[in-house]
Amino acid sequence: MLTELETTLLGVMMMIIMLGMGASMTPRDFLIAFRKPRGILVGLLSQFAVMPFLAYLLATLLGLPAPLVVGLILIGCMPGGTTSNIFTYFSKGVLALSIMMTTVSTMVAVVMVPALLAFYSGLAGVGGEYVIPPGDVAQILAVLLVPTLLGMILRKLNPNIGATIELIGSLMGVVVILFLIASWVPRNYRLLMETEAAVYAATIGIGLAGMLFGYWVARGLGQDRNRSRTISLETGIQNGPLAVLVVTLSFTAAQQQAVLLIPLLYSLFIVLTSTIITLWYRNSATREALARDAAKIEPA
Amino acid sequence: MTTMKEPDRPWIESYGSTIAAELPPRRHASLAELVHATSMAHAGRTAFTCVVPNGMNGSLSFARLGTLSDDFAAFLHHICELRQGARVAVQLPNGLAYPVAAFGVLKAGGVLVNTNPLYTPSEMIHQLADSGAEVLVICDMFADKLAEVIPQTSIRTVVLAGVPEFFPAIPETIVRGVQKVWSRTLPPVPPLKVPVLRLREALAKGRAAGVDTEALWKGLRPDDLALLQYTGGTTGVAKGAMLSHGNILANLDQVLAMGRARMSGRDCVLTALPLYHIFAFTVNLMAFYSAGARNILVPSPRPVQNIQRAIENYPISWVTGVNALFNGLMNEEWFSAFPPKHLVAAIAGGTALHRSVATRWTLMTGTPIAEGYGLTESAPLVSCNPLSDAARPGSIGIPVPGTDVALVDDEGAAVPQGEPGELIVKGPQVMQGYWKRPEDTAATIRNGWLFTGDVAVMEEGGFLRIVDRKKDIILVSGFNVYPNELEDCLAMLPEVLESVVVGVPDLATGEAVRAYVVPNPDAAGTLSREAIIAHCRKHLTGYKVPKSVIIRDELPKSPIGKILRKDLKAEVKAEFAGKT
Repeated sequence: MLTELETTLLGVMMMIIMLGMGASMTPRDFLIAFRKPRGILVGLLSQFAVMPFLAYLLATLLGLPAPLVVGLILIGCMPGGTTSNIFTYFSKGVLALSIMMTTVSTMVAVVMVPALLAFYSGLAGVGGEYVIPPGDVAQILAVLLVPTLLGMILRKLNPNIGATIELIGSLMGVVVILFLIASWVPRNYRLLMETEAAVYAATIGIGLAGMLFGYWVARGLGQDRNRSRTISLETGIQNGPLAVLVVTLSFTAAQQQAVLLIPLLYSLFIVLTSTIITLWYRNSATREALARDAAKIEPA
Repeated sequence: MTTMKEPDRPWIESYGSTIAAELPPRRHASLAELVHATSMAHAGRTAFTCVVPNGMNGSLSFARLGTLSDDFAAFLHHICELRQGARVAVQLPNGLAYPVAAFGVLKAGGVLVNTNPLYTPSEMIHQLADSGAEVLVICDMFADKLAEVIPQTSIRTVVLAGVPEFFPAIPETIVRGVQKVWSRTLPPVPPLKVPVLRLREALAKGRAAGVDTEALWKGLRPDDLALLQYTGGTTGVAKGAMLSHGNILANLDQVLAMGRARMSGRDCVLTALPLYHIFAFTVNLMAFYSAGARNILVPSPRPVQNIQRAIENYPISWVTGVNALFNGLMNEEWFSAFPPKHLVAAIAGGTALHRSVATRWTLMTGTPIAEGYGLTESAPLVSCNPLSDAARPGSIGIPVPGTDVALVDDEGAAVPQGEPGELIVKGPQVMQGYWKRPEDTAATIRNGWLFTGDVAVMEEGGFLRIVDRKKDIILVSGFNVYPNELEDCLAMLPEVLESVVVGVPDLATGEAVRAYVVPNPDAAGTLSREAIIAHCRKHLTGYKVPKSVIIRDELPKSPIGKILRKDLKAEVKAEFAGKT
């Protein structure tokens, strides 16, 4: 479990990340994105329809105990993580789409996450003591929207400050994961040794499954390869640290420790899986670009 | 020989009420004086703002730019011992360092040699050696080229400037950090035998020297040389067009004469075209600046998305551009959905503005777009459409005030009204000649008339229409590509037997370069299009590299074995007939 100080620090870091996310765009970017909302709608569909269902499915198939089921479903219901933007950049994906999906899913999350969480927890038959009160989740998410809006306003008022905050925010996305590793892993290495393979399969599997289904859902709905790869990363990369924050604010003591396991492990492993997938996507993007260039050179 | 009397000016009837028939008397003796007077007149207002793609920006006020350019002039005079008429090459993308360096050179009485930052080392060597430049101000992103270039030139001092120069400290650090770590575009400076210093250090040294900079330019006369602006002309070897202070002063007044009716004195002009090109230099850097407008500088307009924050965050009222830029902007959703609210008008030049692009622009933005015509040799503006209902799409407009034009046949005799003839130009903006090339000068300027090599017709009301280019120059997005240079480059490949380079119509760039290549049957290797393009990329700037390569078994030839370029052009014409 995390100490009170660590929880507070985590909260502050999330605020900074959200501030940076808001600063990554202008109100006008929003308006433009919603003129042709297809890409974003497809993204939201895979984010909030596919991911929670995959989480529920994995939890049921692996026969996980209640606290782990809650943790896995919570991860499945989370909005996109801001690190997805960095991975999208490196994979030569559509950065604007990634930023927009992260922001929109975070805003929609205020309504969607509590609803989905209640629905799938009920479906999985999670008992009373492990139920995350929907009101609390909504409140946390709503509070995080304040820095997001503030970031957007700052960007509008002063582009220099806005772009600086954007950079700090995206660096913070990496820092927060390092922070979780440094503060939690040393105290819990024994727990990690004892953790069953099924739990590891669930934490790693949910990210990979999200990326796989995210890609094919997008392809199926007519998105091109590059946009589909972007949606794929966006779907698979959830806001893990946010899930950790929700758990630490909703549970205490042993309960917290039990529920925390999957969100924490997810936050750690998603960096590794995303890196590998990003390298693969980057290769595909480069290959496609070269093929396009070659086609431009006229045949004899 | 051309024996022409001063012709009358039938276009003056088309000037309407907004354009003065005569050019006003010259207001300043030199560009240095103009810069000085402009700094005083507009003092605290913002003169230049540079915007990088993520929206980070820096600005210089008129007064601050005046001070900084004074410092740079003092540095050139005292530390570099630059004397009047000595050449200084400035090789910078659009950024705040550009006006500081360029104005500093002019204030020191030096001659500005505008140099494309993307030039390859061999292109740089030619231009720097030919101009005899003594000081080079270069963007730090291209410092790696210095090792090869400097020893083969007469450069005595190198000054490095960055893209985020004069940004506030934090954005500057971030942009530089991103360049260094993320995009890896800041190469280390190679060891050189000449002193290398950063612009900031140079300015500090100049300031410490504490000179009365006014004394450095007080003696400048309108006939003194201000710019060596390199251009290829017909032969393909880049030559320096000698533009005097008077040439530029006249042309900026001519630009203002055409646009003044719609200018407010509080204008914000988008400067996405490079300032080292004569179009943006005279129109944006000189004319708009001298009228108190704010220039929004975009260091690299490609991809066109790089311009988004510049357009969104500032009340852009004027845009100067080439066909490809206007077309590119309109294909961006952020632009078409929210065209700039404060836009008054746009000026197009460099290459022909497509009718479809012009029509779409006017529909999308609700503002006029005026196509102008000019040459490096005429500083550049010769003619421009009026910014009114009188404008004629597809025409290059009417000659600007103070300019005479005539259309002549091969013997130099005026052609009858309505007949095509070579466009020749006379006016205060016409260059003094080509630097150290009296023969080229004599061939281009005859009896005071500049022979443009462009064939035009004059319509009713004095409107000009370009029919064809006499020369074989290929115009890619406003940049001249000289087939000779490319063919020489291709000839370096042992696998190439012979080649011809022609322009083909291209929707995006006006014209695109196409190379017809015959493989050498005796060569060991086989010839691939990829290898040809890679080879050109190694030796030439991007825009000169062929967009398409066609491998042929033979090329059309005359009985004496001369390759018939015109036959290939006819082939291209047939191929593209009806396509554009």
